[in-house]
Amino acid sequence: MKDRKIVCRCEDLTEEDIIHAIEEGYDDLESLKRYTGATTGPCQGKGCLMHIIRILCAKTGKSPDEVGVTTQRQPVNPVPLYLLAEGEEE
Amino acid sequence: MKVAIIGGGIVGLATAYNLAKEGFDVIVFEKKYLLYGASGRNSGGITAMLNDERLIDLAKKSMKIYDDVQSEIGFNFLFRKDGYIKVASNEDDLKKLKDELNLQRKLGVRVKQIDANEIKDFIPDFNVDAIVGGIYGEGGVIFPWPVIWGYAKGCRELGVDVRDYTTVEEIVVKNNTVEGVKANGEFFKADFVVNAAGAWSNEISKMAGIELNNKIIKEEICVTESLKPYLDPYLLDVTTGVYLSQSMRGEIVGGIVGSEVEAIDIKSSLDFLVKYAKRAVELIPKLKGLCILRQWAGVYDEGKEIPNISTTNIRGFIQANGFGKFGMCLAPAAALEVVKLIKKH
Repeated sequence: MKDRKIVCRCEDLTEEDIIHAIEEGYDDLESLKRYTGATTGPCQGKGCLMHIIRILCAKTGKSPDEVGVTTQRQPVNPVPLYLLAEGEEE
Repeated sequence: MKVAIIGGGIVGLATAYNLAKEGFDVIVFEKKYLLYGASGRNSGGITAMLNDERLIDLAKKSMKIYDDVQSEIGFNFLFRKDGYIKVASNEDDLKKLKDELNLQRKLGVRVKQIDANEIKDFIPDFNVDAIVGGIYGEGGVIFPWPVIWGYAKGCRELGVDVRDYTTVEEIVVKNNTVEGVKANGEFFKADFVVNAAGAWSNEISKMAGIELNNKIIKEEICVTESLKPYLDPYLLDVTTGVYLSQSMRGEIVGGIVGSEVEAIDIKSSLDFLVKYAKRAVELIPKLKGLCILRQWAGVYDEGKEIPNISTTNIRGFIQANGFGKFGMCLAPAAALEVVKLIKKH
C-alpha cells in the first residue's frame, strides 16, 4: 500500500493508473483527462493537473509546453445552484 | 475500396466500424482529439420518444445496436435504461407531447402519458407545480465518452486507421469525382470521402465545392458534484428546453437545448448557468444545495433533413451530417444507412 502514489484524490487515481492509461493510447492530455477522470473531480485539477502533466512528459518525452494544459472551465470554485438561481437573467 | 471519413465523432466512427466489417479499407481523420466535438460534449440522453417516423425508427434501431456493439467490441458504454421523461409547462406544449406520443405508440415505442403527480413515482422530490403534465417512456442515459472510445477501439481492431490531430486541408476532386484527401500535408487516395464533421460539415463540404448550409446550434451544459444514485430517468422540460439526468459517475448533468448561432462558438456563459439553475431548482427543489463544478459549451449541425445522409454532385463525396441534437440517439443505425449508400455506388 505504501507504494501507491495517489496523484488525484478526487477520482482516487494512482500514478500507475495514469501510466496504464497512457500505455493504452490515451497519450495526449485531453484524452488522458477524460479516460481517467483526472482534473474532473471537485478540485477541477488544482491538485492533480501538475502531476498528470509531469507523468505524461516523463512517459512521452514531450516538454510541458508540448503537452499543454487542459481547458480551464468555470466556475473556479464550486458554486451552489441556489446562489446561481438568485442571479439576474440577461 | 478505400473510404476516407472526415470527423472522429459518433457518426464517423460508427460508419468506419461498419464499413470495416464489410471489408472496406477505412481511414478516419479527426482534426482535434476524439471527443472534441459534440460527441464528447453532449449529455447522453437516449430515447425513441421523437416526433418523426424516420427519427423514431433510427432511434429504436440504435438502442438495440448499442447493446450489441458493447458486447461485440468488449467495451462498456455505461448505458443506463431508467426511462426518459418529457414534461411541459403549458397546455400547448402538452398537446404537442400527446400528439407525438400517438405517433410513438403507433411505431411501437413503449411510452405513456403521466400527470404531474405520477412523475413523483419516478422522481420523488419533483415539484408538481412546476409543470402541467408529460410523457414517460423507454430510454435513458449513455456515457458518450466510452461510446466513442469503444467504437474507436472496435475500428482499430478491424484495421481502421483512426488519426487524431490530423487536419483535412483539401478534398481532391477530378472530373467531378473524388480522388482522395490531403491531410497534414499528405495525400490519401480514396474512392469515397464521407463528410461526418458535425458542426464543421459546412466547411468540409465547401472543400468539395458543395454548399451545405446546415444550421449551427450552440448548446451549454454543466455538472454538479457527485451524489449516490438519486435521479433515475432522463428529464427534459420541452417548454424551457432545460434537461437534467444523473451520470454513472453520480454527477447531475444538465443543460438547455441549444439555439442557432452565426458561427462556431464554444464559450460558456454565466447567463446559461443562471437560467439553468432557476429552472432546475423549480423542477427539483432539493437540488438547490448542490454545487456546480464546471460548465462547457458545444456545437452541432442541423440539416434541412435530419440526418442528412446523401450522395452529392461530386461522385464519391457522401454527406453524413446534420443530425441536430439527436446524434447519439440516431448515429449507430444511421451509420448502417451510410454503408448501404456507399455499397450502392
